[in-house]
Amino acid sequence: MTELEGVVQTGFDFAALMREHRAMVFSVAYHFLHDRDTAEEIAQDVFLSLHRNRGAIQSAAHAGFWLRKVAVQRAIDASRKRMRRPQVAMDDVPEPVARGAPADPMLGETLRRLIATLPEAPRMVMILRYQEDLDPSEIANLMAIPVGTVKSHLQRSLALLREKLVRRGVREE
Amino acid sequence: MDWLEDELKQALRRKEPSPDFEARVIAAAGRRRPVLSMPPWRAAAAAVLVITGAGAGYRHHQGQIAKEQVMQAMRLTGSKLNRIQMQMKAVRP
Repeated sequence: MTELEGVVQTGFDFAALMREHRAMVFSVAYHFLHDRDTAEEIAQDVFLSLHRNRGAIQSAAHAGFWLRKVAVQRAIDASRKRMRRPQVAMDDVPEPVARGAPADPMLGETLRRLIATLPEAPRMVMILRYQEDLDPSEIANLMAIPVGTVKSHLQRSLALLREKLVRRGVREE
Repeated sequence: MDWLEDELKQALRRKEPSPDFEARVIAAAGRRRPVLSMPPWRAAAAAVLVITGAGAGYRHHQGQIAKEQVMQAMRLTGSKLNRIQMQMKAVRP
């Protein structure tokens, strides 16, 4: 069966799904790992996994949910695999040169690097909240953890980031 | 939403992978398709059939060889018996 015949029979258009979701899948891995090459490997692996499991996909919405869930799992797995490698501590993140203004690229990079140093679960919660704009119950469902834990991770991570940024003089309260 | 949450949304906005990403994935999916299109249970069943079929074929082949050997032995025995019978006839007065 050709790819086109497959689309007609099953409604599964692999190329279209990849165009629609590639940025989401890549960015979940990239923001979680802060490593472009590994993020691309994970994204490729996620889409190949979708291709292998295309028979189980019921709709485009289901594909989106499936891709996000698998991207989260693969990013966490990759992070665990490289746990032995030396990691950058929060205090080692370089000070920004200038004070941040809204959408300041330096502040954005500082934030991404600070997020990359958060522990696994709160890091993924922050990415799903601010990259994917998911609410706590959606994050809880995706990560299979209680909603209360999601809210707690969000509050603590925000407080920690705020404290680090204020200490660095990025923004006054 | 406060300034930090605004900054986080900016910092964590989605990014695109490299331009050749899609082509690489489609090429990799194409390479894997013949193997990946078969469900694991079907692959296992095919392997069992191949092994069983090969075993049956081997046993059949061995049976044929044994049959040939028996037939050859019978032919040799028959010809020897004939020769002995001819010699006995010649010896008799």
